Amino acid sequence: MSATLEVLNTLQNSFIGQSVAKSNHLVGATFQVFHVLGFIVLLASVVLVNLRLLGYGLRGQTAPQIAAETNRLIWLGFGFAVVSGTAMFFSAVELYYFNPAFKLKIAVLLAAAVLQLTLFRKVTATDTPNPALVKVSVLLSIVLWFGVGLAGRAIGYV
Amino acid sequence: MSAILELAQGIQNSEIGTALAESTIAFPIIEGIHLLGLSISVGLIFLTDLRLIGVLLRRVPIIDVLHHLRPWVLSGFAVTFISGFLLFWSEAATVIVSPAFSVKFLFILLGGLNALYFEFKLARLTAVVENHEVVPVGVKYAGIASIGLWTLVIIAGRLIPYLP
Repeated sequence: MSATLEVLNTLQNSFIGQSVAKSNHLVGATFQVFHVLGFIVLLASVVLVNLRLLGYGLRGQTAPQIAAETNRLIWLGFGFAVVSGTAMFFSAVELYYFNPAFKLKIAVLLAAAVLQLTLFRKVTATDTPNPALVKVSVLLSIVLWFGVGLAGRAIGYV
Repeated sequence: MSAILELAQGIQNSEIGTALAESTIAFPIIEGIHLLGLSISVGLIFLTDLRLIGVLLRRVPIIDVLHHLRPWVLSGFAVTFISGFLLFWSEAATVIVSPAFSVKFLFILLGGLNALYFEFKLARLTAVVENHEVVPVGVKYAGIASIGLWTLVIIAGRLIPYLP
């Protein structure tokens, strides 16, 4: 067994991991509910900014103005999803650790978060972004965030 | 009830229902598409509601938010309904016995009625159409009701496999 897995197993056997795992299955379901609600808020906010970048929505506002308002919601949704997701992970470490859909989801999630903090932040910071850069950012943003949802939903089936 | 259950069993056992349920690829992909469709439809409704309540995009006229987001909300719903219908086809008999399933549809009905009342009454008030500084307080209440009802739809939907 790898060292990482050993650390993860220790966490699973910790107070929090055991509390989630051994509690009524409705506690697990509650984390699932918060996880999906967080994702919905995150994705809709990302979609709204992308629509503005492409010129499809809320043209009365500039992209930076929309992004400034939705950024709080993006990170709020992200926070809810990560906290509930972490609780779910530590309640069944081996179930997730060896799951290919889970690994894919985490990889795509990290890429999406990095994009959000770098290129996406850059193109939403100016009123006159480079049009080619906008297209690349929107494409990557949609592919990565949609990918997180698709891979996440597949975890239970692979 | 037994007639409904038999019908559901028949739907689930149909050729397409069985093929979907047994497909290791199609089923999770349709589940994923259902999630993305509802994230766009319900998610953009949440953002619209926050505007109605007055906590988000306050500088954008309500009428503009409705005008620009309506086509995306409706497209998202189309995707959600079609994928949801396919999911139902493959597991009809399993899901209809869950109380969460009927509760979900009750809240979809209430959320839909609230949206219709808003669209055909409140959104057509002069104060909203002409973007007055003060809009009737009913607009705010419709936003609060919408957030509550669609949240209940999501909660009930996610609980379908958990109850019982």
